[in-house]
Amino acid sequence: MSSSNASYTLRYFDAIGLAESSRILLTAAGVEWTEEHPEWPQEKPNQPHGRLPVLVEKSTDGSPDFVICESSNVERYIARTYGFLPADLKQAALQEQLRDLISDVISLFFTQIQCKGEEDKAEFQTKFDGLLETLINVQTKLLKDNGNTGRLFGDKLSYADIITYGLYINLLIGFVKFNADIADSVKSKLTPEIVKLISAVETDPLVEKHKSRGGSLVAAISA
Amino acid sequence: MLSGSDTVYVLRYFDVIGRAEGCRLLLTAANASWTEEHPEWPAEKANQPFERLPVLVERSNGNEWILCESLTIERYLARVFGFMPTDLKQAALQEQMADQQADLLSAFFAQLTATGDMKSKQIDEFNTLFDRMVKEHGRILSRSSSKQHLFGDQLSYADISLYAFYKLFIVYLKCYQSDIAEIVKSKLTPEIINLILSIEKEPQLAPHFSKCDTMAAIFTAKDF
Repeated sequence: MSSSNASYTLRYFDAIGLAESSRILLTAAGVEWTEEHPEWPQEKPNQPHGRLPVLVEKSTDGSPDFVICESSNVERYIARTYGFLPADLKQAALQEQLRDLISDVISLFFTQIQCKGEEDKAEFQTKFDGLLETLINVQTKLLKDNGNTGRLFGDKLSYADIITYGLYINLLIGFVKFNADIADSVKSKLTPEIVKLISAVETDPLVEKHKSRGGSLVAAISA
Repeated sequence: MLSGSDTVYVLRYFDVIGRAEGCRLLLTAANASWTEEHPEWPAEKANQPFERLPVLVERSNGNEWILCESLTIERYLARVFGFMPTDLKQAALQEQMADQQADLLSAFFAQLTATGDMKSKQIDEFNTLFDRMVKEHGRILSRSSSKQHLFGDQLSYADISLYAFYKLFIVYLKCYQSDIAEIVKSKLTPEIINLILSIEKEPQLAPHFSKCDTMAAIFTAKDF
């Protein structure tokens, strides 16, 4: 399934953010890839949707490179190509729905920090807390039903495991620069099952080579 | 088609266009056996897997399978019913359009609810994103051989998703902001309007318009 001569460039900011899951997926896929940090906002018009991340799959036959964008789309493409999302449509969809829920959690986080009035801030904090609680409950139930092995589905590292890790490394490390209180608040809500998933992803042999600019999430949780 | 002829679907959502129109259009275009449920809300919240709507219930051979999240439901139905290309690259090019459209919806609500000096900033951001998206739609359309479809010469997921998106902004979101339909219409090119109206005329979508109006009357001659 892996194409041995494929190579990729991932364009993003020099930050954890919405590229981390793609970084982990590319590393886990064992493919050749590099990262570019485009001058910003100068390079905005040169991206398909004027935003980052962007994934470039380098052409090997002289045809134009294949370029896609939108963080969750990039993740799904890598995951499908390299087998981290199952070929079975139902099994894949059950994983994808988790990422859509995560997108909404992240969206609420950024809406909340942009609120100016205390009332608005409180309203969106409540919405964020509520949706995060729903997500944690869903993730924990899946982990328990799957034997509390640190895997959301099956017995191998999956797309769902990686994008879950990608959320928590932001909530606990990456987003702290936007909201200093978020790390402690989220840490206190993590269930043992989720902590086990985080450790399982970080220590997976396929992920070992990935060195997050945020450091170890496992260490951040036990600190 | 990958679903058995005895498979039936239930789409649970509110009785509005909202975030379910793409799902409705896909089920219709697929000629699937499907019905819609409007759960009592918030009474039925706790009975949904993610405490949210839409939810898709698939019943087949006495089994029931449930899926959440509007975009995941759309991509699943598109794949089951052959509206998504099987080639991963071609699929990704269609999926990213839907993701971009979802960003636009978020930007709409962000500018709607912003106050103070954030308001004009969010309005600018919304307009910038929307104009860029329309340009991208135009670019894809200009490369399509059939100006009635975004990709290839048959109705695809991208066409259905684009139609649902413009319908959302032109027909539905005025319940939140009365001038949004006019703002959006003024941004559309004749080519995009022609695409919207062509998708609407697809025979596979005809049953949809027995339940609601087309947008043809909204785009009067002076828009061309």
